[in-house]
Amino acid sequence: MTRFVIRRVLWLILVLLVVSFITFSLMHLVPGGPWDRDKQLAPQVVAALNAKYGLDKPFYVQYGNFLLGLLHGDLGISYSYQDRSVTQILMQGFPKTAVLGTTAFILALLVGITFGMAAALRQNTWIDYVCVMFSTIFASVPGFVLGILLIIVFSVILHWFPTGGWGSPSQIVMPAIALAALPAAFMARITRASTLETMRQDYVRTARSKGLLERVVLIRHILRNSLIPVVTIAGPEFAALVTGSVIVETIFSIPGIGRLFVQGIFARDYGLIMGTVLFYAFVIAIANLVVDILYGVIDPRIRYE
Amino acid sequence: MQRKTLVYSLLAIFFSAILIFTSACQGNKGTGAQILRVNLAGEPAQVDPNQASWAAEKSVVSQVFVGLLGFNQDLTLRADVAKEIPTVANKDISADGLTITFKLRTNVTWSDGQKVTAKDFVYSIKRELDPDLACAYASFYYDIVGAEAYNSATGKTAADKTALANAVGVSAPDDYTLQIKLNDPQPTMVECMALWPVYPIREDIITKYGDKWTDPPNYIGDGPYLLTEWVHQDHMTFKPNPNYWGTKPKRAEIDFLMITDANAALAAYQNNELDIVGVPPGTEKTFLNDKTYDDQRSLFNDLTTFAFQFNVTKAPFDNKLVRQALSCAIDRDAFINSVRSGIGKAAVSWIPPGMPGYNASIGTQYAFNVTQAKALLAQAGYSDVSKLPQITFSYSNTAGNTTIAQFLQGQMQQNLGINIILDPEESKTFSTNVNSGKFMWAWFGWGADYPDPDDWLPGLFGTGAGNNHTQYSNPAFDTLSATALKEQDNTKRLADWDQAQKMVMDDAPIVTIFYRERFNLVKTWVKGLKTTGMDGQVIGDTFYNEVYITK
Repeated sequence: MTRFVIRRVLWLILVLLVVSFITFSLMHLVPGGPWDRDKQLAPQVVAALNAKYGLDKPFYVQYGNFLLGLLHGDLGISYSYQDRSVTQILMQGFPKTAVLGTTAFILALLVGITFGMAAALRQNTWIDYVCVMFSTIFASVPGFVLGILLIIVFSVILHWFPTGGWGSPSQIVMPAIALAALPAAFMARITRASTLETMRQDYVRTARSKGLLERVVLIRHILRNSLIPVVTIAGPEFAALVTGSVIVETIFSIPGIGRLFVQGIFARDYGLIMGTVLFYAFVIAIANLVVDILYGVIDPRIRYE
Repeated sequence: MQRKTLVYSLLAIFFSAILIFTSACQGNKGTGAQILRVNLAGEPAQVDPNQASWAAEKSVVSQVFVGLLGFNQDLTLRADVAKEIPTVANKDISADGLTITFKLRTNVTWSDGQKVTAKDFVYSIKRELDPDLACAYASFYYDIVGAEAYNSATGKTAADKTALANAVGVSAPDDYTLQIKLNDPQPTMVECMALWPVYPIREDIITKYGDKWTDPPNYIGDGPYLLTEWVHQDHMTFKPNPNYWGTKPKRAEIDFLMITDANAALAAYQNNELDIVGVPPGTEKTFLNDKTYDDQRSLFNDLTTFAFQFNVTKAPFDNKLVRQALSCAIDRDAFINSVRSGIGKAAVSWIPPGMPGYNASIGTQYAFNVTQAKALLAQAGYSDVSKLPQITFSYSNTAGNTTIAQFLQGQMQQNLGINIILDPEESKTFSTNVNSGKFMWAWFGWGADYPDPDDWLPGLFGTGAGNNHTQYSNPAFDTLSATALKEQDNTKRLADWDQAQKMVMDDAPIVTIFYRERFNLVKTWVKGLKTTGMDGQVIGDTFYNEVYITK
């Protein structure tokens, strides 16, 4: 298992290098630079800005400097937020996005798995139909529609929650719901399908014929085995939630990192783009690694060399 | 059995925790009596006055700093830190117009008690021109002796840079006198000294704190407010400066929230979390017609004009008659009503109302008139419009611009039978293409940096000028501009600019469409709000020290 983890970590470094190179190249190939705006700056100012941020150096020198900085843990500077380094921006925003993402993840897991299992165990009853209907609805409603609807109903009409921002727990509720809706729907469907399949297995029939209580059969046999596909999607889902959703963060004004990537691209903020891309790649790779390790825990049949 | 109870109890705790927290934290935050809450719609990149260039940054800087001069609500100048506005009459501007002297008040203090002296302005102006800082507005001060040379010294050695800095024509003969030497007379330089890039800066604070000087405890200013809290991407809080040397502000605190989504901001306003909000595009008709908002509407002229600009080097736009014809083929009133929901004014001239240089009679000869349009086209040799080369209209692909483009397409088709191709482009790509001339016909807007025709004409229509994307070149205009820039007799100067504007509108390198108005909602308990054409991102921000809340 240790050899497996070490190998994966080495692959991780290689992946990050490739991702950084591709992103860096694409960033500089795209038309438009950070200083282009409708009111053109004077050419001397543009020259001074390029010199200040090292943008007048050749491509490989810039990339080399970026990698060197990376070795020192420095992700670069942002042009959109000039008083902080990219590392500081990520460190300030990440805890908020992570808390929101984790809350949404737990909510999605609890709701998704519970309803998925309930639907499978009571297949073709009203529970099943309601569960499938809701999971289809929430999988189809776009995030921004759900977000604005929640704001209108619960803030403007009912005055139960504030419309957005961060700081008090009441501000987490609506964004977490908006964020959890889609993953919950997916998890419900996958849990349902997987549970249905597991229920038909021979060992479940054996367990029942042994006289075990239904509850025991459920938890000890069905639950654990039907969770494997769920874990497969839960890992990347967690990574996606923790790195933030630009839509939910924009609508609810959450000061996290979800918006940074998209904003950075529109502003051609090279430092911010590189920093967030690497950060995302890192988080996703780690999440996949954790998922693979979890397989070994859940399913004793899976062993790694 | 144990696992099940564990799971159930965890669930129970989780849900009851949510219930407890949400019921405990019900209600709206900050409905405290004397707090003005406005929306900055995004985090400013930085709040260093020398480097600030975006409207959001300007809004922050103008609460914490006060400069030599400021603008009144009618956009005339007002002496703030300076004792009087320099003019030739009071000898503060030399007869040849090359030396401007500012006499400072002696009672102006920074928020930590130290006096504001002329050295602070000298330091600020030189810092604005520092090539290592690369400030966006440095070029506005190039008429100062040595300014352009210093600002262009990017590749030079440190010793060279220091020498050039010392050669810049700003000095402080004594603590309360600031002297500025110009290369050529430029009457509008006085107005440029009212802008934020030359607000006073404390050299010792910058030396001590470096990049961290804009963080709240170090951000020392001489204005009515202190920045007491900045939670990045969330909000900024301003409390009144207890040591403010001017009129003390009436109310306690300003909160700049950072809600980036316009509709979420509107929801926050409706939920009483914001006191002022911009009306999101598309919802204007609702708020114009709904009686409940009668005493909450704020509508005033922005100093911004929007136009379609031609690339006059590309056929058929190299023919003046074609340009004039297309100007006559656009129904601007229909534009205001259908595309802008009635907000804004139709424009046939370039300089907007509310600032010197506005002349309602300019450009009227090319107002909407389909017969004239067809006649002009025929004169140009295009009585059969299918002979025209394919016209492409480029614009940045925001939702608002798409509607504008479709309107134009409709007008061309309906009025002249011309089919134009629409070319939406991503925002920065669009800027790059326009700046490098890769367009035929594009959407275009211009907002005042300062309220004078200086800012609206030479930089846009002078041959080879930095913001001249149309490639328009008229030697007569260039000569007139050169004279007008230096003309010290204000009446003659404005008359010159008037003539220049007539020249431009006659040659029609652009087709002006509308003057923008800002449409906001303001809660009834906000009193004393003064909106001006020079407001930053949030309305009324230049006079927040006169606003108070009655609840």
